[in-house]
Amino acid sequence: MSGFTLLVVSWVLLAIFVVAFVLRTVRIARLPVHLRWELAPVPHEKGRSKYGGSYLEQYEWWTKPREKDLFSELLYMLQEIVLLKSVWEHNRRLWWFSFPFHIGMYVLIAAGALLLVGGALEAAGVQTAALGDWQGGITALAGLGFAVGGVGALGLLVSRFADRRLREFTTPAALFNLLLLLAIFATGAYSLTVSQDFALRVWGFATALVTADPSIEIPGILAAHLFLTMLFLAYLPFSRMMHFVAKYFTYHEIRWDDEPLTAGGRLEREALQLLDQPVTWAAPHVKSDGKKNWIDIATEETKT
Amino acid sequence: MSTKVRIKDISRRGDEVLCPIRPEDMVPLPPPYDDPEHEPAWKELSPETKERVVCNLDGFVALSLPKPKDEAQEQEYVESFRAGLKKLLEKNNNWTFLQPLLLSLDYCVNCQSCNDACPIFTASGGADIYRPTYRAEVLRRLIAKYAKPGGKVFARFTHGDIELNWSTITRLYELCYRCTLCRRCAQACPIGLDNGLLSRELRKLFSQELGWAPKELHDKGTVLQLEVGSSTGMNQVVVKDNIEFIDEDMADETGIEVHSSWDKEGAEVLLIHNAGEILSWPENPGAFAIILDAAGIDWTLSSEAVGYDGVNYGLFYDDVQLARVAVKHAEIASNLKVKKLVAGECGHQHKAMMTIADRILTGDLAVARESCMTLLEEIVFSGKIEFDPSKNDFPVTLHDPCNIVRNLGIVEPQRRILRYLCPQFREMTPHGVDNYCCGGGSGFAVMSPNNFADWRVSVAGRMKLKQILDAFADQPGPEVKKYLCAPCSNCKGQLRDLLQYYDVLEKSGITYGGLVELIVNAMVDVKEPFIKWEMH
Repeated sequence: MSGFTLLVVSWVLLAIFVVAFVLRTVRIARLPVHLRWELAPVPHEKGRSKYGGSYLEQYEWWTKPREKDLFSELLYMLQEIVLLKSVWEHNRRLWWFSFPFHIGMYVLIAAGALLLVGGALEAAGVQTAALGDWQGGITALAGLGFAVGGVGALGLLVSRFADRRLREFTTPAALFNLLLLLAIFATGAYSLTVSQDFALRVWGFATALVTADPSIEIPGILAAHLFLTMLFLAYLPFSRMMHFVAKYFTYHEIRWDDEPLTAGGRLEREALQLLDQPVTWAAPHVKSDGKKNWIDIATEETKT
Repeated sequence: MSTKVRIKDISRRGDEVLCPIRPEDMVPLPPPYDDPEHEPAWKELSPETKERVVCNLDGFVALSLPKPKDEAQEQEYVESFRAGLKKLLEKNNNWTFLQPLLLSLDYCVNCQSCNDACPIFTASGGADIYRPTYRAEVLRRLIAKYAKPGGKVFARFTHGDIELNWSTITRLYELCYRCTLCRRCAQACPIGLDNGLLSRELRKLFSQELGWAPKELHDKGTVLQLEVGSSTGMNQVVVKDNIEFIDEDMADETGIEVHSSWDKEGAEVLLIHNAGEILSWPENPGAFAIILDAAGIDWTLSSEAVGYDGVNYGLFYDDVQLARVAVKHAEIASNLKVKKLVAGECGHQHKAMMTIADRILTGDLAVARESCMTLLEEIVFSGKIEFDPSKNDFPVTLHDPCNIVRNLGIVEPQRRILRYLCPQFREMTPHGVDNYCCGGGSGFAVMSPNNFADWRVSVAGRMKLKQILDAFADQPGPEVKKYLCAPCSNCKGQLRDLLQYYDVLEKSGITYGGLVELIVNAMVDVKEPFIKWEMH
């Protein structure tokens, strides 16, 4: 694949990624408010979250000020995101592979971020040799990410066959996801070992993406790595790997959403709109006719 | 090890039992209950029952679904189910849980971290069909293939294969009643997904689209409650008579005059009990009356239909019925102009009234609603009643009702009372928000058709029994009387059956009861012991 072809393909794949990622995230965010479904422990419960308590433990709770501990919530999230605490506590066998797999990706994201910052500083003339100075560190970081992530991905792949609990629940898509990521880690690691200036070459590709420089030349293995990475990004929003986005909503908008309805407040306004929708469930006891809304259905005389 | 079952096996046609449960696979109980010889035998289904109703899941029958007349009827139900799958995804029909449903459907990576959190899966010795992920994955595959555009093309790659047929839906119907909706699995999920919710969504689909629901929860539950006034069948006259009898009985027993008041406008507290208490554990509403009177609380009961029964079985299976009952409760409180509505010792009543219904109770219906736990704590520590904790000097442990503790986060008020009034209080392991369900959650406590009571007690309640026995392991014999405090009516129903099934009072000296009974037992003004060491 020529450098220019890779650029064109990358533009298309990146565009798919951005559009699909935004659309899918917005779609989740715009789902209607639901009935309360919180689950203890709720970490923002100040002074109570350690044992799972909530504000409902207070006598006449509605007369008391709500005290939220956002630091505790942040700490909880950090432990979940960085250390995969729930997996450690409930699925130790899997954690030994899931943890390096995720850490590998975090390290690669960090390496990419450093590359962008270094490149930007250099391009802006703030630090003339930023990339030159940093490239050793960035390359080492990327190498670490490829190695650790690769070990994790391989371990997860093997687990999908070796662990009976996982085998039956493994779909072709799950295997494809792991194989794709394993290929990205492997091609990245290989191109890094054959090229001393891995970081500079990746930066060169990134610059060419922005400047549309058709003369860019990329060695075959690095081109394969970059293509697979772009393919992964384009595929990501359509896969269950978007769970890192979903996780924000499952925690903040479901598990920890303990906001009570107040007269005239936002929740009441939204609820009234939702209750105004027609119900079409077909069971006889629902007594829907396609026109009755939730309020009609819930308040009509039910005695026979 | 029980039979290995694959996801797609649920579609295997015919009446074959998919995954027979065997006693020898189950987690052993502590001595003296560890001898398999003494494990009560499970009731065999009669040939007549097998002929008449669907029995194709695990050898137990909770739902008594009649077999269809012919293939055309089968197909009719299958098509209804398919229509229901689509309605689950519609905003107008399912806004109530659309976001939690879609997230739980779309983002599970099948890591199985939730498996061991499930007391039913654990107790069964790891039966595949009881994995919290099993029924969830079946639903996920069915929706991907039959309710989403392009499903027949892509679903096999993205989700794996499954077939929608009569066997699939009937097994799935029975299987969604093998989960107590305790949500322990949801706590364990790293992504925050909720397989318990998916069980409830399935129940909802069956009820709201096909009209299939356990008769104990629907016909004899919400329908009876809305028609007559209570799922117990008590009408307004009967409930008043019963409460009058309880008041008299309490006065005889304690020497304290009790007068439960009815329909008092503007009262500080409208107390709504689970009406099952009035019939099965009258000492509980009696103890409430003694405490509230002694503390000088201005309280009332409601004699209006539905207002004297706090149960809301809709919480377990049907959003429409849930909303109807919740609205009635709130309307009654609003019409009486009480300062607040207080839920008695009933877990699902707490959850239905306090949080689940919160976003449908708008305008005048948004009455203040409180747990009896916080009211009781306020009373006990107010100094208005004199207590002598030495009257409760026997081993006591606390069962945490899932709906009060894990789902509402009301953990400490009841503990502060027990630590104060019960010198030998000890915790179970695990406890608090990590507790095990009693096994009677989600309506199971009132469901005993065919051989389901055997499953409910010996499988669903097994981990609870184990931890109760472990909590009293320092004094295991029957010579020391021990008290299991279970401040929830449904839990008490299940625990009664559990303790009776294994003869626990006789073998280990453990009985059970609520929290208010312990409070009254410790009152200085109550001269005779209030707690009776008997199975009731």
